[in-house]
Parts: sequence; structure tokens; C-alpha cells
Amino acid sequence: MDLKFVPSICSYCGTGCGVLFEVLDGELVGTLPMKTHPVNQGKLCIKGWNLHEHINSPLRLKHPLLKTFGRFTKVDWGKAVDVTAHRLKEVIAAHGPDSVGVLVSAKMTNEENYLAQKFARAVIGTNNVDHCARL
Amino acid sequence: MTPIQQQVKNWLEEKRVDIFLAYRILDGHPLPHAFTREHIEETAELVTGPARYSLEKFATHIASRYPAARIGMVARDCNQRALNVLRVWNQLKDGQVETVPVTCCPSHLHHHADCSYLEPHPAGAVKQQLGQAPNQSLAEVEAQPAAERLDRWLYEFQKCIKCYGCRNICPVCFCKECSLEHAELIGTGHLPPDIPIFHLVRAVHMAGRCVDCGLCEDACPAEIPLRLLYRKVNAIVKDLFDYETGSGDTLPPFSILGDKPTMSPMPLLAAAQE
Ligand code: SF4
Ligand code: SF4
Ligand code: SF4
Repeated sequence: MDLKFVPSICSYCGTGCGVLFEVLDGELVGTLPMKTHPVNQGKLCIKGWNLHEHINSPLRLKHPLLKTFGRFTKVDWGKAVDVTAHRLKEVIAAHGPDSVGVLVSAKMTNEENYLAQKFARAVIGTNNVDHCARL
Repeated sequence: MTPIQQQVKNWLEEKRVDIFLAYRILDGHPLPHAFTREHIEETAELVTGPARYSLEKFATHIASRYPAARIGMVARDCNQRALNVLRVWNQLKDGQVETVPVTCCPSHLHHHADCSYLEPHPAGAVKQQLGQAPNQSLAEVEAQPAAERLDRWLYEFQKCIKCYGCRNICPVCFCKECSLEHAELIGTGHLPPDIPIFHLVRAVHMAGRCVDCGLCEDACPAEIPLRLLYRKVNAIVKDLFDYETGSGDTLPPFSILGDKPTMSPMPLLAAAQE
């Protein structure tokens, strides 16, 4: 019987509400609003209230998948990065850097988002960067 | 060590309880915490407030996985009333939860009450003009002309963002299938939800169940005075059935298991109907 309450920040949008995860025997069983958090003051929207659901979802992707001949196969990260880099180079060579867009996410950290825009602008050479927290 | 910290430490050491739910300060935030024998030293960090979470709801989660667990918790009056209801509705067994009572006296000398009735937020100008201020008495609300009252409630309801926070945070909402998610009762896929049916379905379900803890109202991002609404519902239950919700004495009048209603209407009312 191991019950823990773990404070965190909702990763669904740029608001950054304070949440409290209820963890029973190592399993995330619930999400609550943090009552004293200055941003949300004990309130959440429907996405925040259901944060724990996608973490436990059996549909969650846990490995990179490569689509060849219409079918997905599990590959390791090295292979996934190689194939992506190779295909990006082909696309840029054929259609120019603005044929690529980079979509980042509120589910990543600030630093990862910074890296992603740097990758778009400095490596690929495009300003096509957007983010779901551009509410 | 404070007397409560010592008491909880003793209860855990004497195996009077297996787990004790209270609060501790983490990074400046008072958060719920489960104290155990394995980490008995943490009892020195136990605090009883100032924030208020539904500890009894966590207790039901423990009890459903560990039916034999003996659970302790600090309890304000509202927690205690919710425990009574959860016991009556078979979510907790008799004697499964032992409480250390804590007070929430409204004096400013007492540390922060964190309760919408003890520390009311004044209603802003727009709410005063169009809406329903949360901290009114039922008599004040009922003094409004019926048409105005309806307008004011509809104004409140149409602000709803359908977050389900009121249901999720409620200590006495535990149904596996919730009517608020029933597509045939309440239309899906638009905001605000069907009003007033969304709020009235919940209100009806709170009859004989709501313990007037106010957690729903605290959690409502649209600041709808839900506690006030459910107070009215339970005033009706009291009038018609003389049933005091939260007292935990008997099953509420609306339990429909079995072939008979569990309570008769008040004798006076029955006489009046003859
Ligand atoms: S409802 Fe408010 S006043 Fe009543 S016991 Fe709970 S915190 Fe205290
Ligand atoms: S006041 Fe709200 S949260 Fe508390 S028991 Fe009633 S409906 Fe549930
Ligand atoms: S908490 Fe308020 S906004 Fe959310 S569903 Fe309930 S009434 Fe609507």
C-alpha cells in the first residue's frame, strides 16, 4: 500500500496549471488541481483533469515505428533518426527548405522547444515553426 | 512534535492504522500526504492545513484496492460528513476510517480556513448585476422574483466549460457510470453543455448525498455557485423526508435497491395529502 501525491505542471497548454498526481502502488490513478498553485488556484479544464488517462493508455506509442510498404514496423531510435534525416535531406534537395514544417508541442519542455526551432531555422533553414500553445 | 504529529506517530506504531492521510508542506505548497510506518519520521512534517483536499476520496481509492486496510485521516466537519455518506453508500466499511478531528474556526486568529463559506470571495460587479452571488442564504435567493432568479441562474450555467471538475472533485461522487456523460441525457460535443439540464441532473443526484463541503464551487473555473444550488436541493430533502444529509444515520430516501422506498415522507406531509 503505497500512496503518493506528486505535484507537477499540466503539459497540455501554455497556461501551465499546477496539478497533483495521485499515485497508488506506482500506478497513476488520478489528477487533481493543486489548490495553492498561483496559476490555476485549484481549478483545471477537462484536459488537465484527464492527464493520467493518456499516460496509462494502451494506445500510447512507446517505440518509433517505420512505415514501409504501408505497414508499420518497430525500429530502434538510431534507425528512426537515420531514415528521417535521409528523407528530410531528399525533400529539401528536391523542394527547398520551406517545404518542411516543424510542429512542436506544449508537451515538451521549453528547452526542447527551443532546440526544435533552432533545428528548423539553423539546420533546415525554414521559419515554418509552430506550437499548439499559441492559444 | 505537535500533539497531532505525536498522535499520528503513535497510531501508526501501535498499528491502530496502516496509513494516515493528512498534509505536509512541499515546495511551499500544503499538499495531501500519506503517512506510513515505513516512513514514520515523516510524521514530524505533518500539518493539518491550510489547504483542503478530499482526503476521504483518497481513502475510498485505498479501500477499493485494500479492503482490509485501516485508514486514518485528519478530518474537518465536512470531511466527517463525507465519510458518513461514503459509509452509508458502502464505499467504506464501518470503522475502517479513524479520524483526528481538526477545527476550521473562522476567527482571523485561526490559520486560514480555505472554505468558500468561511472565507467568501466578494461577487464582482458583473456577477452582482447578472449572476447569482455565491454566499447568499437560500432566503435571499428565493426573495428574487422568479423570472429574475431564472435569468440569473441561466447566466451562471451558460458560463460552464464542462470540465467535470465539480463531479471529479466531489467526495461523494463515485458512480462508475455518470449520467453527466450519458449522451442520451446530455448532448455531447458543444459548449456550454445543455443548460440547465447538465447542472440540474447533477443537482438532483446530489439530493441526499451532498455534504455541503464546497469543493465543487472552489474547483469551478466558471465560478458557478454550485454549493448554493445543492443547498436548495437538500433543503427540499429535509422538508419532504426529514432526512439530514451527511448525518450518516440511515440510507438516504432515494436508495432504490430493494422493492420499497427506504423512507416515508414526513408524517405531516402524508396527512396533508390524505
Ligand atoms: S465546510 Fe467549511 S466550515 Fe464546514 S467544516 Fe468544511 S471547511 Fe469547515
Ligand atoms: S458541496 Fe459540491 S463537492 Fe461537496 S459534496 Fe456537495 S456536490 Fe460534492
Ligand atoms: S466545475 Fe463548473 S465549469 Fe466545470 S463542469 Fe462543473 S459547473 Fe461546469
